[in-house]
Amino acid sequence: MSRPTVKISRAVVGFVVLTLLFVFFAFLTLTAGSTEISWSDLGLRNVPYANMANQIFWEIRFPRLVAAVLSGVALAVAGLSLQTLFRNPLAGPFVLGISSGASLGVALSLLAGLSFGHFGVLGSAAVGALAVTAIVMSVSTRFANSTVLLVVGLLVGYFIDAVVSLLIVNSDAESLRVYVSWGMGSFGRLTYDGVGLFAVAVLAGLLLLACSVRFLNAVRLGDDFARGLGVNVRLGRILVLLGTSVLAASATAFCGPVAFVGIAVPHLAFMLFKTSNHRVLLPGAALCGAVLCLAASLFQTLPLNAVLSLVGVPVVLWVIVRGGRLH
Amino acid sequence: MAEHVLLKCKELGFGYGGLESSTVFALPFDFELRAGEVVALMGENGCGKSTLLKTLAGRIPALAGAVLLQGGLLKEFSIRDLAKRIALVRMSGIVPDRMTAREFVSLGRSPYAGILDGRSVEDELAVDAALELLELQSFADRTVTSLSDGERSRVYLAEAVAQQVQILLLDEPNAFLDIPRSHRLFKLLKKLAAERNMGIVVSTHSVEYAERYCDRIMVIHGGVVRVESAASARASGLLDWTESEG
Repeated sequence: MSRPTVKISRAVVGFVVLTLLFVFFAFLTLTAGSTEISWSDLGLRNVPYANMANQIFWEIRFPRLVAAVLSGVALAVAGLSLQTLFRNPLAGPFVLGISSGASLGVALSLLAGLSFGHFGVLGSAAVGALAVTAIVMSVSTRFANSTVLLVVGLLVGYFIDAVVSLLIVNSDAESLRVYVSWGMGSFGRLTYDGVGLFAVAVLAGLLLLACSVRFLNAVRLGDDFARGLGVNVRLGRILVLLGTSVLAASATAFCGPVAFVGIAVPHLAFMLFKTSNHRVLLPGAALCGAVLCLAASLFQTLPLNAVLSLVGVPVVLWVIVRGGRLH
Repeated sequence: MAEHVLLKCKELGFGYGGLESSTVFALPFDFELRAGEVVALMGENGCGKSTLLKTLAGRIPALAGAVLLQGGLLKEFSIRDLAKRIALVRMSGIVPDRMTAREFVSLGRSPYAGILDGRSVEDELAVDAALELLELQSFADRTVTSLSDGERSRVYLAEAVAQQVQILLLDEPNAFLDIPRSHRLFKLLKKLAAERNMGIVVSTHSVEYAERYCDRIMVIHGGVVRVESAASARASGLLDWTESEG
C-alpha cells in the first residue's frame, strides 16, 4: 500500500514546485520593466489613469502575463492531447499543421479582409484550425501508420505557406506590416480588452479536454482496447480534436505562431510527474507550459520563438534519440 | 444443480464483412456459457477463434442469429455496461510506452469511473487485489514495455480481473507463457470461475490444458462448431482433428 503514497507525493511535489515557479515568474512579469511600479499606484481598471504606472500595468504587463499563461496552458495541453490521441510523441498543434491552419485563417482575415463576425481574427483562426483538424482526422482514420500524419501535417504547412505567399503578393503595405508583426509570435500584443475573449476560448478548450480524460487514458492503447473499457471512442476523438483546435487557434490568434511549447512541454511534464495518467499530466503540462512561457516572456527584447526554440529543440531531440534507443 | 446462464448464442453465425462479401467461419450454432465454468475454445489457426471471441464480446456484430447477455440482446447494451460485464483479453497489441503495470491494471476500473477518470479507495483495492492475484506486486511500478512477454501477459490478465466482469474471454493467454506459468494460469482461471462465479472462454492450442482445467471444450473445425464436456471430448471424437495429418 506504500506505492500509491509515493506516487501521490511525487505529483504533489511536482505541483508545488511548478506553482512556486509560476508565482515567481508571474511576479517578475508584472514587476520587471524599465518603469518602476509600486503596488499602491495600482487602482481599479475603472479609475481614470492617474499615472503612467497604472496604464503600464493594466495595458502592458497584465495582458502580457495573461497572454503568456494562457498560451502556455493552451499549447501544452493541446500538444499532450494530440500526442496521446495519435500515439505519437512528436505530434503537436504545429507538427500536425493545426497551428498552420490557424495562421491561414489569420492571414485570410488580415490580408484578404475575410471576417467572421465580431470574433474577428479569433474566429478566422478557429475556422482555419478546424479545417486542418478535419483533414488530419480524415487521414488518421484511413492510415494506421501515424508517420503518415506527420507527413500530412508537413505538407499542409507547405501548402498554407504557399497560399499565404499568394495573399502577401496581393496585399497592401499596412496589412502586410500587421501580418508580419503577428507572424513573429509575441505575448505583448494582447490588449486588456482581448483578455476576456482569450480566457473564455482557452477555458472552453480546456473544458472539452477535461471531459475527455477517460478517453485519453484509454485510447493510447488503441481504439479497440478503449472500446473494451466502455469508452465512446468516436465522441472522445471529436471532443479532443475540437478542444485542441480551439486551444491552438486561440493561442495562435492572440499571440501569433508560438513554437515548440506544444511538442516539448508534454515531455517535460512526463519527466517531472513520471505518470501516464492524464488526470495528473493535463494540469501538470498546463502548469509547465505556463511557467515556460512566463519565463520566456521575461526576455522582452529577444524574439519569443528564438527563446522557446532554445528550450524546445533539445527536448525534441532528446525524445527522438530516446525513441531510437527504445526501438 | 441450477445453472445460471451468463451468455447465450442462438443460431449464431460469426465472421467478417457485409452481406455480399462476408467471410463466414462456421454454420450457425447454439451455445450457453454458464456461471462458474471454463470453456476451452480450440481449432486450427484461421478457423475463427478470435472472431468468435470478438463476436461474443460485442466488438463485432453477429452475421446471423443473436448473442444474449443475461437475457437481453448483446447489441442493446451500452458499451460501458458491456465493459462492466464482459472483458476480452488479448495478449498482443499496442504496448504503451511510459505506462506502469499498476497504471495499466488500473485501466480496468475505467468503466466504473466518472468523467474525470478518478479512482476511489475501492477501485484502488480492486487494483491491488488483481496485482496480488497475478503475482505482479514486485513489477507494479515498472513500465509495461520493460517487462518480459510472460510478465506482460499477466499484466493484461490483471487488468481484466480488475474490471470485475462476470464473463472473461481470453485469446490464447498462454501463447507467451512458460509451462509452469501456463499451468498456474489455467488453475487461476478455474479458481476465478469457481470462486467468483465467472464464465470463462479461453482459446488455446493445448489439448492438455483444455482437458485438464476446463469444464467443456468448444471446437471450430470444418465449418462446424461443437461443444462437449471436457471429460468426454476425446471419447466423442471432438479432438480427432488434433491428430489428423492433413
